[in-house]
Amino acid sequence: MSLLQREREIIVQNEFIDQFDFKEVEEFIKSASKELFISHKFKTTNEMLVQPRGGFPTYDKVFQLYKEFKNSGVDVLPLTIDSNTRLNDYATAKKMLALSEENDVDMLNGYPLINHGYRTTRKMITHYDTPVSLRHGTPDARLLVEIALASGIFEIEGGPITYLLPYSKNFPLDKAFLYWKYVERVCAAYSELNEPINRESFGPLSATMQPPAIVLVIQIIEMLLSLEEGVKSFSVSFSQTGSMLQDVVSSNVLKKLSRKYADRFGHNDAVINLVYHQWMGAFPYNKHYSDSLINTSTVIAAMVGADKIITKTRNEAFGIPTKEANALAVANVKYTLNMLKGLPKISDEAEEENLTNMVNEIMEAVLNDSADTLWRKVFNAIKKGHIEIPFSPHIINANKVITVRDPDGNIRIHNKGKLPISDKSFAFERSKIRLKENERVVDKIIQDIGIML
Amino acid sequence: MKVVTGVVGNDVHVVANRLIDISLQERGFEVFNLGVNTYLEEFIDAVIETDADVLLVSSLNGEAEGWCRDLGILKSKYDFSDVVFMIGGNLGVGEMNAEELGPKYRNYGFDLVFHQVDLNEGLDQLENYLKERK
Repeated sequence: MSLLQREREIIVQNEFIDQFDFKEVEEFIKSASKELFISHKFKTTNEMLVQPRGGFPTYDKVFQLYKEFKNSGVDVLPLTIDSNTRLNDYATAKKMLALSEENDVDMLNGYPLINHGYRTTRKMITHYDTPVSLRHGTPDARLLVEIALASGIFEIEGGPITYLLPYSKNFPLDKAFLYWKYVERVCAAYSELNEPINRESFGPLSATMQPPAIVLVIQIIEMLLSLEEGVKSFSVSFSQTGSMLQDVVSSNVLKKLSRKYADRFGHNDAVINLVYHQWMGAFPYNKHYSDSLINTSTVIAAMVGADKIITKTRNEAFGIPTKEANALAVANVKYTLNMLKGLPKISDEAEEENLTNMVNEIMEAVLNDSADTLWRKVFNAIKKGHIEIPFSPHIINANKVITVRDPDGNIRIHNKGKLPISDKSFAFERSKIRLKENERVVDKIIQDIGIML
Repeated sequence: MKVVTGVVGNDVHVVANRLIDISLQERGFEVFNLGVNTYLEEFIDAVIETDADVLLVSSLNGEAEGWCRDLGILKSKYDFSDVVFMIGGNLGVGEMNAEELGPKYRNYGFDLVFHQVDLNEGLDQLENYLKERK
């Protein structure tokens, strides 16, 4: 028995799940409908796939949510997991699920997949025969991913960096790398049985003033960590920056460089997709403004040629949307996309060159670290502050980089901290920044964070 | 001047914490930022370890009231007469009578209390307080 299989058998021996039948699960995936695989959908359509966010505690409410989504023309269904399950606290999730079922109130902010189990959940997934994407935020997602794949959820979001730096204060980063390595290997193993399992990185990060150079570096690294374990279908992603130009530039460079680095490491056969998140920062309370923001981001998604868009709703500022509001958002995005086919490609050469340089400079510093494996190089890079994200709660994050918006709304690096970018690249960034006389950087940042309010 | 800062209790709202950090640095303070989810005991330990001049506790989710009650007990165990104790943010859950919050927190042992006060104004007042005390 392989080491991985031995570890898997230990992981699934958990008091909160029924007997896990590896043979049966393998048979299920081998003969599963192609319609359940987003990787298959990417291959067979030229249209942008539309995916909302959403998850409720009980089976019935998720079933109804999916029904609503299907009526609105959804392409990919989400399954958002509750916060207790994300922290591996299945006992609390179980208690809250029971309370939700008895009292018909939602005591969890998502679906406790471990407690529902794969046998039950699979019924719902195969009933709708539509790809489902697992949305969570879990540093140790080993059991969760086993149960998700066994349920017929063939897209797994997350990664050791993107689900840690924005989500945790002190979960150990080295453990996160190793636990995600397990996830990649399981996804890779199942990918050989039918269509590939798709892995997706979470580009929005802390969704607050994230400089594209850092987002792209982290996207490329999580892609490489996944592909080196044998994953064949991977989605890189980023969220709306607040500047249409910067979104276009980010997308052009991300597409080019993710392919380049995948090929450089010999992953020529891997398929790489691009996912665009509608605005992830603070939403306006005015629902008309929200509608306008959502429409604009749909236009941008079409301009950047995203393979999938992840939608928001006009209720974003007020909390978790109802299934009706959520489905309406999907229908509206589909409606808008219908007008946006065959757009010309636009670009800005100077901007693309500078972003490309910054990403390459950081990547070279990471790859030149003396450690023997990629994950250790990345671990060291984060420890040294060669990679950090603005506004992370995690203790390992360096918190030296400061970003502000230029007059066109582009996010620029004002303080580079320990980022290993060249003087030339940094000078380009700084040259775009305009501070008013006596304007304090921190006041500018506060204003720039709330740009959509 | 050294400042220890952080978000008290089980509160992970990091954005304001980073802004406080940056603002203090811009004003020339040496900042020891304990980040989110910090307990009162950790704040006190850090003040002793760094020999800080100011402890700036912040709260966004409003639960600071429960977390700061023991400040008096902790303060009595060590000589903190040179340290300014300051708290700011949303200092109550839900709608509060702001007039009552000041005396309540001063009673816990804070010298400066800022409930929903603009960050720069709070820091201006801190600087004035430090100047006057000299």
